[in-house]
Amino acid sequence: MFRLPCAAALLAVLAVPASAQNSAPAKKSPAMPGMSGMRGMRGMRDSSRVGTRGTTSKRKKTTSPVAGGAPMAMTAGADMEGMAMPVPMPKGMPMIPGLVGLTPAVTSFLPGVGVDSRSLPVAMASRLTRLRNGDTLDLTAMLVRRTIKGHSYVMYAFNGQSPGPLIRVPQNASITVRFHNRIDLPSAVHWHGVRLDNRFDGVPGLTQAEVASGKDFTYTVHFPDAGFYWYHPHVREDIQQAMGLFGNMRVDAPEPEYYSPVNREQTLVLNDILINGDTLIPFGKESADYALMGRVGNVLLVNGEPRYSLRAQKGDVVRFFITNVASSRTFNLSFGGAPIKIVASDVSRFEREERVASVVIAPAERYIVEVRFDRPGRFTIVNAVQSINHYLGEFTSEVDTLGSVAVAAVPAAHDFGAQFAALRANDAVSRDIARYRKYFDKAPDKTLTLTVAANTLPLATVQFMNVDTAYFAPVEWVDGMPDMNWLSTARQVRWILRDDATGQENMNIDWHVAQRSVVKIRIFNDPKSFHPMQHPIHLHGQRMLVIARDGVATKNLVWKDTALIPVGSTVDLLVDASNPGVWMLHCHIAEHLEAGMMTAIHVDSVAAGAGR
Amino acid sequence: MTGAFWFGRTLLLVSLFCGTDGPFDIELFNTPASPTAQGHARLVFAESPFGVAVTADGRASYDVRIDASGLPDPATLGAFSTYVAWAVTTDLTEWHRLGRVTNGTSVVGHAELNKFLLVITAESSPEPRAHSGPTILHGTSPSGWLQSFLSHPLFRGLPP
Ligand SMILES: [Cu+2]
Repeated sequence: MFRLPCAAALLAVLAVPASAQNSAPAKKSPAMPGMSGMRGMRGMRDSSRVGTRGTTSKRKKTTSPVAGGAPMAMTAGADMEGMAMPVPMPKGMPMIPGLVGLTPAVTSFLPGVGVDSRSLPVAMASRLTRLRNGDTLDLTAMLVRRTIKGHSYVMYAFNGQSPGPLIRVPQNASITVRFHNRIDLPSAVHWHGVRLDNRFDGVPGLTQAEVASGKDFTYTVHFPDAGFYWYHPHVREDIQQAMGLFGNMRVDAPEPEYYSPVNREQTLVLNDILINGDTLIPFGKESADYALMGRVGNVLLVNGEPRYSLRAQKGDVVRFFITNVASSRTFNLSFGGAPIKIVASDVSRFEREERVASVVIAPAERYIVEVRFDRPGRFTIVNAVQSINHYLGEFTSEVDTLGSVAVAAVPAAHDFGAQFAALRANDAVSRDIARYRKYFDKAPDKTLTLTVAANTLPLATVQFMNVDTAYFAPVEWVDGMPDMNWLSTARQVRWILRDDATGQENMNIDWHVAQRSVVKIRIFNDPKSFHPMQHPIHLHGQRMLVIARDGVATKNLVWKDTALIPVGSTVDLLVDASNPGVWMLHCHIAEHLEAGMMTAIHVDSVAAGAGR
Repeated sequence: MTGAFWFGRTLLLVSLFCGTDGPFDIELFNTPASPTAQGHARLVFAESPFGVAVTADGRASYDVRIDASGLPDPATLGAFSTYVAWAVTTDLTEWHRLGRVTNGTSVVGHAELNKFLLVITAESSPEPRAHSGPTILHGTSPSGWLQSFLSHPLFRGLPP
C-alpha cells in the first residue's frame, strides 16, 4: 500500500528544482544559531520576513517578546529588540524559513506583571513538613524571585519553596490544607495519585471552582495508600507548574521494613525550563503555546537547581524518590554506572524488585529506586537519550548532566550491600493484585484512540508535518522542532482522546462505571495522526495496573496513576474503580491537557455490600 | 555530502519504506538464494518495568517477532543447519546476533540500534560468532523512514 505521506514526500522531493538539490545545504551561517540563537535570529529576520505568510500576532504587535510585564530589571542585558524569534533551536537544526518572523497568536505572559521583583522573597529549597493525622497545613502559592544559572526571574512557589514543602504523613492520615492563592492567576491544588474525597481533587470546572487570585480554599486530604505522590495546580499547568508550583507527599506505611534498609534517602524532582540566554520564554496568556509537543525546557533542573550534588561514602546505598514534574519531557536517568534497583512506582511497590540500567520516567510518574555507590569517586547523574534531528533524518545521542554523587573512600557506616544485592519479592503487593487477575483477560470495557487535529497552523508547519510523518519515534525525548512547536497554540491544536465505540471525544465522552467495578481500558496511540507523540495518561483518584503493552502481558506489576503510551503502542489498563466521584483521565503533558486531551470518568456510588 | 547524494538517498528511503504499517513493522524481502521465503517482523518492546524499554543511553530495546514461511531446508543452501537473525548497522559494520529463526513465529532479541537492517542468514550453528552463510530475508527498521530535509524546499525558503 502506498501511504499518502509517502506519496507526498516523494512528490515533494521530486518537486525540488535541480539547482536547489545540488547546491550545498546552508550550514553554519549566522542564521542557524546554536542553543542561544538570539543574535542569529536577528540576522535572519530581515530577509526571512519576505517569505512570511502574514500571520498576525498580538504578541508582536502589542508586546515585546519578553514583556508580559516582567520587570525590566529581571531581564537586564537581553537585547529584546532583536528577538523576533526567541526560541532556542537545537544545534544544527535550522528554522524553516517560512516560519521566521512569526510569533504565536497569543499575548505574552510571564509571572509578576507590574511587580517590583526586589520586593519578592527569594525562593527557598523544599523543606520537610511532617504532619500527623488531623494536622493542618497552610499552603500559599506565591510569587518569588528565583536565580537560575546566575539570572534572576520572577516565578512561583508554594510557601516560598520550590519544590514546595515535602509533606510526610503516615498512611491513613487525613490532613487539612488551607490553600491561599497569592499568585496572579486563578489556581487550585490537585493531589496527584491520592485516592481522596472527590470534592478535594482540585479540578476547577469538575470538582470545585477556580480559586481566584487572593482567595482561599480548604482541602481535606486523606492518604489511604503508602507511596510517593505530588501536588500541583490543575489550572494552566503549562504556566503554573513550569514556573515552580509542585511539591511531593510521602506516605509512610506502618511496617518498618516496607522498604529495605539504606544509608540515606533523597528526593529528586526532575524538571526543565525554557530559557533563551537570560530570558524566560514567555507563555501564551489566552491559551497555551507549544501545543504540538509541549514546552520542552533547555535547562534541566533537579529540585529546582541546574546541578544536584550529594556526598556519600563508599558502599552507601541511597534510596531516591524520583518525580518528573516537567511539562513534556520524558527522562532516561542513570547514575554514572552505579547499579540501580527499582523498588516502587506511583501508588505501590513492584511485585518484585528488579535491576535496571536506567530509569525512564514520563511526566507525572514517580519511581523509587535504590542505587549503590560501591567505589570512591564521582558518579555523574545524567539524562541520556537519542534525539531525532528531523532536518537530517538522523539520531543523535544527547547526554545532559543533572548532577553528581561524590563518593568518599571512607566505607559506609553500615554496609547494606547484602540487602541491596537481594531482589525482594513483595508478596503483599502480589496478593493484593491477585484479586484482580480474573479481570486481566476480559474484553476491554472502553477502547480509546489518542490522536490530534489541527487548524490554522502556519503553512510551513503543516507542510513539514505532512512529509515528516513517515516515521515517528515511540518517544520523542527532546523537541526537535521548537519553531513549529512554539508557534502552535491550544487554539490551533486539539489533542484528542476518542472513544472508539461512540466516536465521542474528550469531555463529550459520557462515561459511567460503578464503584467497586474493575474497568479494563485499552488505549491506542495512533501513529498515523498529523503529529503523533507519546502521552503520559493520568487517571485521578483511582489506582490502575498496566497489565499489557502491545499484547504482551506485564510480568512485574505495580499500582500506577500515570502510564506512558508510546507512539504506535496499545496499552491495557486495569482500573480499580474504588473511589466514587467524577475523575479526570488526561494526558499529563501540560500543553496537551490545555489543548483538550482530557475526559472524565463518573464512578457512581454503590451501596456498601453491592458491587462485584 | 552533495545535495545529489541526499536527494538520491531520500528517494531511496521514501520508495523503500512506503509499504509498512506502523512504527514497529518490518517487511522482509527475500533474495535469489531463497525465492520462496517470505516474512514479516514486528518490533515489540523488551520486558521493562517502565513505559518504554530503552538502553541506558536511550536507544529503544526491542524483541523482534519474526513470522516467516517458505524457508527452505538450510542444508539445501550449503553446509548449513539453521537460520539466524541479526540486527546490522546500516553501514554493515556491526552485526548483532538476535537468535534462531524457523518457519512460523520466532521471537529473537534484543535489537537495540537506532537504525538497523534486520538480516536473516543461513548458518551452521544457532549461535555463530559471525555471519557466514547467504542472506535469505532482510528488511530495515522503521526508523529508516526518517528522511533528510537538507535539500527540501521547506528549508530553502522556496515557495512551496
Ligand atoms: Cu499528550
